[in-house]
Amino acid sequence: MDEAKLIEGIQQGDRKSFQILVETYQRMVVNTCLGIVHSKDDAEDLAQDVFMEIFRTAENFRGDAKLSTWLYRIATNRSLNHIRNNKRKRFFQSIEETFTGGRNRPSEISENRADQPDQNITDQQRSDLLHRAIDRLPEKQRIAFTLNKYEELPYQQIAEIMEISLASVESLIHRAKKNLQEQLLDCYKKKCV
Amino acid sequence: MKTKCIHNDLIFYLDNELSVEKRTAVEKHIEECADCRSFLAFLQDGMQIIEKEKNPEVTPFFYTRLSARLDEKQVYQTQSQWSRLAQPAFFSLVLLAGIYGGLKLGSNASSPEVNQPATTSIQMLNDFAAEPIESFLLDEL
Ligand SMILES: [Zn+2]
Repeated sequence: MDEAKLIEGIQQGDRKSFQILVETYQRMVVNTCLGIVHSKDDAEDLAQDVFMEIFRTAENFRGDAKLSTWLYRIATNRSLNHIRNNKRKRFFQSIEETFTGGRNRPSEISENRADQPDQNITDQQRSDLLHRAIDRLPEKQRIAFTLNKYEELPYQQIAEIMEISLASVESLIHRAKKNLQEQLLDCYKKKCV
Repeated sequence: MKTKCIHNDLIFYLDNELSVEKRTAVEKHIEECADCRSFLAFLQDGMQIIEKEKNPEVTPFFYTRLSARLDEKQVYQTQSQWSRLAQPAFFSLVLLAGIYGGLKLGSNASSPEVNQPATTSIQMLNDFAAEPIESFLLDEL
């Protein structure tokens, strides 16, 4: 079924059209959210919210953008909001712990283990390290990088989704990679994993 | 002689984004520099995580769950539509009852039987007004 028909169906509240849309795009939406939030469960919860929003606001959708562009925008926005809310929550938790003398949580990065050979680095440690590095990227770099690396989108499509120029996308992704490399180099030198 | 370390080019080397000359230079350097070689492996393993974790299998109940959420929402919406209609209707009734009651009381007040107590209450009010405000406040204390 083509996109316009699908949207038209959803605008009229047709559940079958909605189901087709969801099943066509669920992998894409979950994967995009995952690139930003790093947890599959959270990514699926967010994807649910994305599709709820699509169903609710289908009447506002005009045919001038691709359906995937619309989905990518909502998915990245919601994921970033999720991260911001989590940060806020953690901030207030840490304040609370300061006042209630709560237990000190273990520091995020495991301590220097210089005496251990590299072979002992587990995939879990590697992925923690990479996720933390991605989380430290400025938001725009994070979106561009995620769309490029997780979704393998060409720069032109990323430019459309983010509503910026092609040159800006190139620059964002270049800086994102440089940033990640710096963080990983820093960790490599300190043997932080 | 060993060339300068190229840590900062390695991520672009991995992504095949270097010019031919730069690429050749990086490859030459890696051959002779154990540290850059080791960091390249570290970086590659790190970035490889993305390839391993991306596109996870979505739970088979994804749409079922979504559909249930939509049902819930629609039930709630029909309910709230009812309450949207019922609430103003209820308050209009209360208002009408109030107006009706007020008119009823008003017409009773003008009748001669209730005239008497109304006057006494006015007199009482006048007594109250005659009392100096200071003593009234002092009494309160
Ligand atoms: Zn070197």
